[in-house]
Amino acid sequence: MTTPTWDEPGGPLPSEEFRAATHAIMANIEQVIEGKGATVRLALAVLLAEGHLLIEDVPGVGKTKLAKALARSIDCSVRRIQFTPDLLPSDVTGVSVYNQETRDFEFKPGAVFANLVVGDEINRASPKTQSALLECMEERQVTVDGTTYELQAPFMVIATQNPIEMEGTYPLPEAQRDRFTARIAMGYPDPRAELAMLDGHDAHDPLNDLRSVTDAATVRRLIATARDVHAAEAVQQYAIALVTATREAPELRLGASPRSTLQLIRTAKAVAALEGRDYVLPDDLQALAVPVLAHRIIPTADAQLNRRTTDAIVSEIVHRLPLPHDRGRSPYDTRNGGPATNQYESRGR
Amino acid sequence: MSGRRRLGLVAAGATILAAAPISSIFDSYTWLMQCLLTVGLIAGAAVGARTLRFPAWAQALSMIVVLLLTLTWLFPSGEEFLIPTPSTFGHFADLFTQAGQDTRSYGVPVPDRDGLLFVTVLGIGSVAIAVDLLTVVARKPALAGLPMLAIYSVPVAVYVDSVPVLPFIIGAFGFLWLLVSDNIDRVRRFGRRFTGDGRDVDVWEPSPLAAAGRRLGVVGVVAAVLLPLLVPTISGGLLSRLTQTGSGVGVGPGNGTGGRINLFASLSGQLSRTDEVDLVRLKTDEATPYYLRFGVADQLTANGFGSTTPTGENIAQGLPDPRTGTAGGTFTEHRAQIEITDKLAQGMLPVYQNTVGVDGLQNGWFFDDNQQVVYSNRRSTRELNYTFDYVRARYTPALLRQAEQLSPDDPIFKRNTAHPDDPTVTAEVKRLTAGKTTQYDKIRALYEFFSTKNGFTYRLSTQPIANSSEIAAFLQTKVGYCQQYAAALAWMAREAGIPARVAFGFTRGEKDGDTYVISNRNAHAWTEVYLKGFGWVPFDATPAANVAGAARSDYAPDVDLPEPSTTASETAAVPGADPSAAAGGVDRPDRPDFRDPSTAGSSGPETAGMSGTSLTIIGLAALLLALLLVPALRRVLVRRHRHAVTAPKQPKVRSLEGPGDIVVTAEVVKARADAHAAWDELMDTMVDFRIPIDPSETPRVTARRLVDDAMLLEEPATAATLLGTAEERARYARKPLEGGELTVALSRVRKGLARSANRRTRIGAVLMPPSVLMRWRLGLADASARLVGVGGRVREVLAKASPRRLLPHRSR
Repeated sequence: MTTPTWDEPGGPLPSEEFRAATHAIMANIEQVIEGKGATVRLALAVLLAEGHLLIEDVPGVGKTKLAKALARSIDCSVRRIQFTPDLLPSDVTGVSVYNQETRDFEFKPGAVFANLVVGDEINRASPKTQSALLECMEERQVTVDGTTYELQAPFMVIATQNPIEMEGTYPLPEAQRDRFTARIAMGYPDPRAELAMLDGHDAHDPLNDLRSVTDAATVRRLIATARDVHAAEAVQQYAIALVTATREAPELRLGASPRSTLQLIRTAKAVAALEGRDYVLPDDLQALAVPVLAHRIIPTADAQLNRRTTDAIVSEIVHRLPLPHDRGRSPYDTRNGGPATNQYESRGR
Repeated sequence: MSGRRRLGLVAAGATILAAAPISSIFDSYTWLMQCLLTVGLIAGAAVGARTLRFPAWAQALSMIVVLLLTLTWLFPSGEEFLIPTPSTFGHFADLFTQAGQDTRSYGVPVPDRDGLLFVTVLGIGSVAIAVDLLTVVARKPALAGLPMLAIYSVPVAVYVDSVPVLPFIIGAFGFLWLLVSDNIDRVRRFGRRFTGDGRDVDVWEPSPLAAAGRRLGVVGVVAAVLLPLLVPTISGGLLSRLTQTGSGVGVGPGNGTGGRINLFASLSGQLSRTDEVDLVRLKTDEATPYYLRFGVADQLTANGFGSTTPTGENIAQGLPDPRTGTAGGTFTEHRAQIEITDKLAQGMLPVYQNTVGVDGLQNGWFFDDNQQVVYSNRRSTRELNYTFDYVRARYTPALLRQAEQLSPDDPIFKRNTAHPDDPTVTAEVKRLTAGKTTQYDKIRALYEFFSTKNGFTYRLSTQPIANSSEIAAFLQTKVGYCQQYAAALAWMAREAGIPARVAFGFTRGEKDGDTYVISNRNAHAWTEVYLKGFGWVPFDATPAANVAGAARSDYAPDVDLPEPSTTASETAAVPGADPSAAAGGVDRPDRPDFRDPSTAGSSGPETAGMSGTSLTIIGLAALLLALLLVPALRRVLVRRHRHAVTAPKQPKVRSLEGPGDIVVTAEVVKARADAHAAWDELMDTMVDFRIPIDPSETPRVTARRLVDDAMLLEEPATAATLLGTAEERARYARKPLEGGELTVALSRVRKGLARSANRRTRIGAVLMPPSVLMRWRLGLADASARLVGVGGRVREVLAKASPRRLLPHRSR
């Protein structure tokens, strides 16, 4: 298999072509998932940010359908794993089997050897199997029996899961959750979209009619284009400030990791590119803070008792945190900093 | 119980401090020694009584006993040894009587007189007992301020005009000290005290929270001292000095009440200026009349001239004509008409001297031949309208010199030369009249003594001098108003053996067409001298420059003007009050209106003063206005600065790694700066129009919210979005937006905001821009916070060096 390495994604696309390609993908997906433009766009952004997507919601809102539609829109290798409690790690990564003819062990690639891996109901598998995904998701390689196998590019895991309160689920460990770039919720469709769905989907599944509109090479170039988006120093500072705020928030036991900072910026770049900008705005970060950060953090027991969801905590941080000003502090910013606030802190003896 | 004992000592100290005002009464400090001793002994007695746990009544009794013993020791009658006997109390009673006499016979500051010292020590001792009982026993130190105030009221009662400020400050701090000590003691009873940073507060140190109280105390004392200087209640205030200017004529207190004028020419006092009220309207066929006259004071006491009740015949029986021999000089006949307003209601009728007939009066008016006044016991002058005929007598110096001395048996002489003995006056008159032979020359010499050349000036209040009589004080300080001048000249004339008295009346008033309008400001007093063969001849010694409508005559020219030679006026035997001849007088025919600024003196300082005052007021108002406009001005300047096309600076090229290579050229730098300036301006504009600013909002969201909140329509909405985009790109994009009409957009947004804002917000945005005020406030808060921080650090450093922290904590 001659696949280009991850570091050679191909040249960036001109903006018109970029827009045409991304619009085609999104339009294609929206044939299947109606009325969820923002979700679709975010999913695509995660793809362009070279991340992995976790779709979490109650059963039957189209999680799997979104994952499959995205996979089908791109002409690339797609594998689907249905996670069950008895799924074994080797089913995911692959296994070395003894070949009688060659009298040697031969590696049978597992499900992750594809451009797009759809992991359905990932939290129904045992933690052992879930963690088998760990290495391949972050390092984009699989090691079996001491041999390391590179994965293809682009590589994206789209996992769906039911909320952890559902029966028969093993919650994902935070290490694995941290590897997902974004967690999105589908949400119920609005009545009009649901009506349209009834009209269109009752006879046959439109997913079957879906044709790919782009290929892996183009996607690589799309990714390269997104990488090229400019993130100003102020934006980077803002991302750091956001992440730092989660680490310092009194309601949180575990804040967001440095990896999340990186992924926040990357996703923001992708979103900016999808919106036709070549620079990231703090608006992008604000919009992405909940999907990118909320699933990584762990609230304190108190906050949990108070029914504070991580989503609410992150949005509150976004609303509270002043925008970094590349020209110093805003004169109207009295909430944070200022020499007056901590004059008493250093007085204790 | 150490707190109570200490409080007792503080009460004693505070009493001593509160006694400071007494220092302005006494010449020396003997009283202080005695009071210190007494108060100290009383405090000692109180401490002793408390140590022995006496009940409250016994504590009070012990203090009273100690006071009594101390008084006996300090003021012994000589018959007892420390224990007071009946004779001691007799002695005390004598001292009391003596003090009463001393208060009458001595002026401040008084020498050490036993009686006065006794009363002082007794008073201060009683106050010390009262303060101690109120503070320590009753625990009501605030009430202790009352006895302390009683001490302060002594100099207030003694000094008429102003009381020294310093003793008041000392007393006030004594009182505050008492309050502070009591409260510290009160707080200490709760147990251990802490500072804000959790450290224990030692017994000797006040709580850090007390700083606010200390500041309040100081501010209160300063306000109490400064406020009376500013508030125009008494005519010593700064404001009243600013607003009250110029001349004051007036016959002393009481001229405003009930339309009466007090007929007493006091030798000391103060004129309180009231509003100008028209009293009399007068028409006469005389070109420049002399003073209108209604009353006479001829009873001289040490305080001044008082009037006697006039007695006489009804005017219906006719008035005496001076031309029949009672008076000399040349006479001209005139007729005058007078209309009196409802503001002048008295029993004395204003007429000219030598009135020979009055028409238009009801029955009930009488004429006193001695005083030459028309009076009524039943009727009042209120709203009277009458005409009268009078003859104007005119004299020349040459004529008057013929007047001979009146025989000592003459009733006029007897009545009008009686005077108290005053060595100063006697000496002064002797000096002035030395070598003068005729009556006229004597009185002329005395009259000329009261000139500005001799240092006499007009002032609305006199200055008392301790240990000297009022007339001596006036002759020495040489400041006063018409009453003092008139009374002093009359006294001195009497001293010289010339019958003299003080006449009351009005100067000529303001000329309105052919009518003279006479107001209360024209009230005046002058001297009349009896010259044999001429009758009562008026002399006005008050400096003419300060008397509105002052008139001078030939025989008594204005001594302050360059004198025309007396010989000239002697030869020109022209009638005295005739203006055509009174070349040296203020009444010049070419300048009949004394209000005219060119007229001599009288109105000069007044107009200048008025204009000065109004200038000051206008200036202050302008300053206030300018201060009020400072924020608006600052806002405009900031806006102009931002709108100004910033010259392209040399760009600072930063090498940025990665794909985000930022274009850095002069144009781009300028475009960024422009966008930032425009955005800052937009923020300020939003603040001005009271649209909240959220620091966590991105420019894009802010612009959108601005459009939504302020309901901006097409043009301003587009402009707001443009500004948001420009700032967004300037901040975050590789290339900023160039060529945007940001200034135009700004003014559009401002117009849009003004349209949707209410009037109050609009006016506020222009006149008192909240953005400027908020910046100032924030800057002030920052600066003060920094100051507090620095102060805290300094205190920490100093605390390390303080030996006090090594002391064991005695509070536990």
